[in-house]
Amino acid sequence: MKVTWKFDDLPGRLAGRIRTSPWVAVVRGLAGGQTGPGSTPIVQPASVAGRALTVVIAIMTFLACLTSGAVYVVNQSANDWFADIASEITVQVSEGQGSEFEKKVTLVSLFLAKQPGIQKVNPLSAEESGQLLEPWLGGSDVLSELPVPRLIAVVIDRSSPPDLDAVREALESNFKGVTLDDHRRWQAELRTVTRSLVLGGIAVLMLVGAATVASIVSATKSAMASNREIIEVLHFVGARERFIAHEFEKHFLNIGVRAGLVGALGATIVFLLLPVTMRLLSGRGLAAAELRQFIGSAVLDWPGYLLFGLVVIVVATLCMLTSRFGVYRILKSYD
Amino acid sequence: MIRFENIGLRYGLGPEVLRDVDFHLVPGSFHFLTGPSGAGKTSLLRMLFMSLRPSRGLIHLFGQNCSDLSSPARADLRRRIGIVFQDFRLLDHLTTWENVALPLRVFGKSEASYRDDVTDLLKWVGLGARMTAYPEVLSGGEKQRAAIARAVIGKPELLLADEPTGNVDPAMANRLLRLFIELNRLGTSVIIATHDFQLMDQCDAPRLVLHEGHLEIR
Repeated sequence: MKVTWKFDDLPGRLAGRIRTSPWVAVVRGLAGGQTGPGSTPIVQPASVAGRALTVVIAIMTFLACLTSGAVYVVNQSANDWFADIASEITVQVSEGQGSEFEKKVTLVSLFLAKQPGIQKVNPLSAEESGQLLEPWLGGSDVLSELPVPRLIAVVIDRSSPPDLDAVREALESNFKGVTLDDHRRWQAELRTVTRSLVLGGIAVLMLVGAATVASIVSATKSAMASNREIIEVLHFVGARERFIAHEFEKHFLNIGVRAGLVGALGATIVFLLLPVTMRLLSGRGLAAAELRQFIGSAVLDWPGYLLFGLVVIVVATLCMLTSRFGVYRILKSYD
Repeated sequence: MIRFENIGLRYGLGPEVLRDVDFHLVPGSFHFLTGPSGAGKTSLLRMLFMSLRPSRGLIHLFGQNCSDLSSPARADLRRRIGIVFQDFRLLDHLTTWENVALPLRVFGKSEASYRDDVTDLLKWVGLGARMTAYPEVLSGGEKQRAAIARAVIGKPELLLADEPTGNVDPAMANRLLRLFIELNRLGTSVIIATHDFQLMDQCDAPRLVLHEGHLEIR
């Protein structure tokens, strides 16, 4: 059999497909326009099964958005930790007293600043070093009497990092009691923890996704069963399968989009209020600082909110496809 | 127009409910389809409407063999047939006017092109004052007339009616029969499935009688 392709009319056919697409009808409806010819939709707009489906979709979309948003925030925080830790090393100066010690810290700082691949050297003062120990030792005067080592925070150029082994060797040969910590062990532990968190989040997301698919497919099937009479009548008055499927796709896509948007809006409000709520609940103490360190500021950026839009599209498409298969299954029983 | 050749029908593995049914109906004819309850009247109508396939034999409608038609072709053929169900099958969320206009809407016609036709037809069947009423507030007779109007609005070449007078009083039954006769005069072939002998006696039309799975024309 010879297959011929008609490309001449391709733009016209494509435009026709887009014009008659259920998505276009739904967008028109949301914008306040007419969704199709005739005053009343052929598929009953409000029914008990339809309302139940709306509630199920709204709740499941809300949960799916919350989970995907949470996984996204944790993943972003994990990436931020890595970026911070990987771009910083710490040099500890532990032996020395009085002005000799201060001089040693300055010399080490100057030495580090000269090394290639080092962007910034920030020697912490005695007070700043003491403040780091305050959460464990408290703010007593005992700190000033202890031989607290001094730290030098060094920011490295990640695009052309220094040879840390060579720097370490040079430091140890030139200065006594100076050690370099490149956070490798901490990075490895952190990588394990964050990977576990993200993988755990993805597992939960998949479970919520599966529950969402199952409940939406089931609720759509129930709603379709209540519309069986409409399918039957349309079939008997001479409607083609595509016409009937299109009417139902339009109807269920509309329910999916509207209910999905309600769910996504709920999740958006939760994420907008989350930073404020966290501040109010955890206060300003150490616990709050640790929580912030752990999950970041819990602020969802715009790609995160875009993810919610994706969830709504997936949910609405699921409704539409389930209704289409439902129509074809019912029509098959008549032929 | 309609040709049944050696048609047999069985449901599942059960016995044949219709056996060796052969008949030929010409355009513009008027027939009653009768027989006792359970004789297979509705099954025969469903086969005529292509919503039921025979177990054996051939059905030709409008010169086409129904057994090898694609789904869109069957839908196109159904558009040439109007059907009136015993239980009306009106859609509750549509008004009487919208229910009657449904076939034309399904055919893809614009509302402006059929607005007057639907209104005129509803007036003709005596529902001019009930156009905006929903089916749940219509009486049995009104629902039946709305169902008939929906079946004929697309100007079908064949009208099938399943017990169209089963839910109405004798006076209304007589009125509906006059309506079918009038449609037949306008060129539509009509088959009315009924076991109402009083109704059949009012019209001198041939009867397709189903008895113990066989069909004979009297």
